[in-house]
Amino acid sequence: MTRKDKCSECTTGGGFPVVGDGFSRRRFLRVAGTGLVASYFAEIISPTLLQSATVSAPLLKNTAKNCILVFLPGAPSHVDMWDLKEGAWTPSALAPTSYAGNIRFPQGLLPKTAGHLGKLTLVRSGLAWAAVHQLAQTWTQISRNPTGALGNISPHIGAVVALESQASRAVSDVLPAFVALNSANIPKSGYLPAQYAPFGVQPSVNGLTTLTHPDGTARFNERWGTIQQMDADRVTGQLGKTSLDVDSFYDQAKTLMDAPDVNRLFAYTPEEHARYGNTAFGDSMVVARNLVGARRGTRFVQVSMGGWDHHDNIYGAEGNSLFSQCASFDPAFSSLLTDLAAAPGSVQGKTLLDETLVVVVGEFGRTVGPLNGQGGRDHFLRMSIVFAGGGTRGGRAIGETDALGDKVKEYGWSANRDVRPEDVTCTIYSALGIDYTTIRRDDPLGRGFEYVPFAKDGVYKPIDELF
Amino acid sequence: MSRSPRFIGKRFQRSIRFAASLLLLAPILMVADQTGVADATVDEPIQARSDCTLNPIAGGSERLIWRDISERAELVSPSRIVENATATGRRRAVSPPAPGAPSAIPLRNFVDVEIFGKMTRDGIKPTVLSSDEEFLRRVTMDLTGEIPTVATVKTFTADTRADKRDKMIDQLLASEAFVDRWTMWFGDLVQNVQVSTNSREYYQGRNAYYTWIRDSIRSGKAYDQMVREVLAGKGDNFINGTSNYWVRQIQPNGPIQDTWDNLSAHSLEKFMALPATCVSCHGGARHLEVINSYMAGKTRDEFWSNAAFFAKTAAVVIRDPALPNVRKYDITDNPAGLYRLNTTSGNKTPRAPTAGQPNFSSPAFFLTGETPRAGEPLRDAYGRMLTAHPQFARATVNYLWKELFTLGIIEPVDSIDLLRLTASTLPGGTTIQPSHPLLLEMLADSFRTGSYSLRTILKTMTTSSAYQLSSRYAPGPWSEAWTPYFARHYVRRLPAEALLDAIFRATNVSAPLPVQGLPAVQKAMLLPDTLELGARAGYGLFLNNFGRGDRDDSPRSNDGSILQALSLMNDPLITTRVRNAQAGSSVQTILRTTTVPGDIVDSLYLSTLSRRPTPAERQAGITYLSGGNLTTKTEDLQFVLLNKLEFLFN
Repeated sequence: MTRKDKCSECTTGGGFPVVGDGFSRRRFLRVAGTGLVASYFAEIISPTLLQSATVSAPLLKNTAKNCILVFLPGAPSHVDMWDLKEGAWTPSALAPTSYAGNIRFPQGLLPKTAGHLGKLTLVRSGLAWAAVHQLAQTWTQISRNPTGALGNISPHIGAVVALESQASRAVSDVLPAFVALNSANIPKSGYLPAQYAPFGVQPSVNGLTTLTHPDGTARFNERWGTIQQMDADRVTGQLGKTSLDVDSFYDQAKTLMDAPDVNRLFAYTPEEHARYGNTAFGDSMVVARNLVGARRGTRFVQVSMGGWDHHDNIYGAEGNSLFSQCASFDPAFSSLLTDLAAAPGSVQGKTLLDETLVVVVGEFGRTVGPLNGQGGRDHFLRMSIVFAGGGTRGGRAIGETDALGDKVKEYGWSANRDVRPEDVTCTIYSALGIDYTTIRRDDPLGRGFEYVPFAKDGVYKPIDELF
Repeated sequence: MSRSPRFIGKRFQRSIRFAASLLLLAPILMVADQTGVADATVDEPIQARSDCTLNPIAGGSERLIWRDISERAELVSPSRIVENATATGRRRAVSPPAPGAPSAIPLRNFVDVEIFGKMTRDGIKPTVLSSDEEFLRRVTMDLTGEIPTVATVKTFTADTRADKRDKMIDQLLASEAFVDRWTMWFGDLVQNVQVSTNSREYYQGRNAYYTWIRDSIRSGKAYDQMVREVLAGKGDNFINGTSNYWVRQIQPNGPIQDTWDNLSAHSLEKFMALPATCVSCHGGARHLEVINSYMAGKTRDEFWSNAAFFAKTAAVVIRDPALPNVRKYDITDNPAGLYRLNTTSGNKTPRAPTAGQPNFSSPAFFLTGETPRAGEPLRDAYGRMLTAHPQFARATVNYLWKELFTLGIIEPVDSIDLLRLTASTLPGGTTIQPSHPLLLEMLADSFRTGSYSLRTILKTMTTSSAYQLSSRYAPGPWSEAWTPYFARHYVRRLPAEALLDAIFRATNVSAPLPVQGLPAVQKAMLLPDTLELGARAGYGLFLNNFGRGDRDDSPRSNDGSILQALSLMNDPLITTRVRNAQAGSSVQTILRTTTVPGDIVDSLYLSTLSRRPTPAERQAGITYLSGGNLTTKTEDLQFVLLNKLEFLFN
């Protein structure tokens, strides 16, 4: 079987060594269990890795209580932001500047964020699996190949966190554990019960207007009681699982309604709106801060900001460009860091940022070197991931790429290979004290649901060097 | 009023004749066993006599992968998992379905023969037929997106004619509301929307498209003709609705080939249910084996050749001084144009010819390799080939089946695997994709011979007993493993627009819904796309919360959410409508007519749930209404009924 040339813009390509290379059928079958297509793991799964018999116990850092995932669909350019590479193409407005920890950073693009570099760890040896938007976005959020065997039923990472935090929920924990802000059309709870689905909200200055009943609390309670009495369908399950889900959503809704002051958490003041950048994304970051700071049950918040797919006009002074995008991203991200760092944690001596792992990631990177024919960058597998808080040390980069930002010179961590979305998931779970090697036996397909595929075999693991 | 149990009428005789004709054509004709056990049956379905060529996977190195893959027990797609889960675990002798199997349920057409036949063979008991009230609400909702009026419920339940259900179906098919609902369906399919990530139709283009769709559906234009017209749309897209099919697929930030690729992928995906986008970047081999065996055997060259049908068409911007901020297009077919393989940037991986090949792709139909006739305009040729191919009818009837039965015969409905339709082409280790392969072919055939009439095929489906089964499983506890048998009706939440309209009708209070460029409408189902009314507040926010999607990256969804529960309980659009003080509301009208609690309960159930209360419900309602101020309690009762699962689901 011939090896084809690597197709760097899509998947890792290459021929799959079906025979030879020390790859036995048994190992093939085990690896194939998750439905990974051959080409996807040709480069990464070396036989020696699978041969390793000694797998150490999972590394649970347990340094964080919450996670805020700042998701950037469209895929921001890593070589213009987190892994700055300079050349004849670099506009002076980017203002590349040197910072401690041997970091070159586009101060002109992200001036406020530059002031927080001491909190950030820039992981530069990231590599996506596929340079296709929808596929890679879903892959990142469910931590496995969406087209594989369990792709259709896999829950969002946040839903797993919600499930895992269920046991420790107090009576005062009225907020949904998993909240999604400014995030349309993301993976939901998969096969897990609907109570772990993301509570998707678009923040507004009035908060959540449907939290109060227009005819008053007394009238509402009366009506609520009657609904429970007269609608047996929502508990008998006679009409199927979706009917039971409705009951779950109603219960969670009532819990929110009954708690005082919840509405305030979903609102923002004019001052906050301005300080966070005057955008819907900024507003969502305010609410994210409110939710984790409230300590009333929310443990995983996803905030999304799109518009990064700069196939053209990437350095444009007008229209959608990196400059216009960062003008929105910079104040929101830096204000979030500031406010989290200023707020006390649940434990003496810790700040809210210490207890909240902030992860900034897109679905892949963008082409390197000179721009394309339209003044932009196209899809690229090499990417960066940014971590802050949650016990991470900050103030440095992990991994180093070549002069262009393509190949890796140093991976920067003990696994000595590219950092994959699955490793990011392991890191998040580990920080939250969740055993990322867990395999649940309650999935409807009866195949076993791995929190992170192959983590039990030690194929993926947390980036310990962060902490 | 009950229907005679052993009704064997003309329709059934037709289906017997039909089955007999199949027997003449194929020496051994059996329904493929769906137990997943490898019985030694031979399946010769209808398509054996079609001219559809199901290209086998090319030989060579791909075969090596296949042999390994076939031995991987774990390599199955979700649809296959479902089938495995239904396996009885026992070997079954496959035999043809027993005609007129003894049962209280009449077999009305070939749909019933297939659906109940499979149940009989595998020992699955169907539930009972739905009551008149359940049937009426379901078929009205499915065919017209409305709940029935109180008057219709009363008339229908009192009607004593033996064929009243058929007559009701005819009535609904001929109604204006039918046009509303299926215009929304087609609009979803082609994603008619004024603004999307890549392109703008603007409201003018969107309206022209919407009007064309409505007129086509109303006039009963053959569905294949609709699709051909859409694929070949020409002229100013603000005037000619069908030009918007092209405009909707315009891809910025890249070479023109990116737009042609969008058109090629979209048409294959939406009209043929073939997931083609993947092969626009790379061949299917070593990528798509787990997703779609057929597509795994397709190459990028074949995709380009399909996209080349669009290469002689141009979208020229028309600048209108009266509309300076708007961009509209004149779509024109030209004598010249080539799909050149010479791109290095944009939204796809670089395009280059393989060694020794010309540096452009010539038009050839993706599924058959057919090339256009001499002098035939390329897009006309493409439309002709696409709509004539059996997969077109197959994909369409599967979509329509899902609209009515909640679950497609093939799931997912947008990813049909042409190699997994029959046992004879199955790659090793895989199972057949359709739950009822013969039924699927018969429906496709029926659609084709019925001149691709939407009303005709929908009538065939809705007049079947299979469609009319109850949503409650009477024989005993239900097992999810029986899902592929359609042994009951599967409920799903009302789509967003239908839910809002149902609230309007149940409370008798609608509202004018403004539409850009068109007169305001009184029904959400009349909105020309899923962006009207905005997203931030009021009716627009309500519709968004209930998953109408954006006809772009966010498809329509029936998922539930906490926000929906909050909406149903606390949105003023609901709480104001149940008030006695609300002019013309159902509550007000009822209370002005009567103060007898029993009558009030009857009226509320009829208005809201489209049925009468059971004796127990009636009594509970009377007790409830007598427990406080009658007006307050009446308002509360309708509020509660609007929050009942039965109202929210169909």
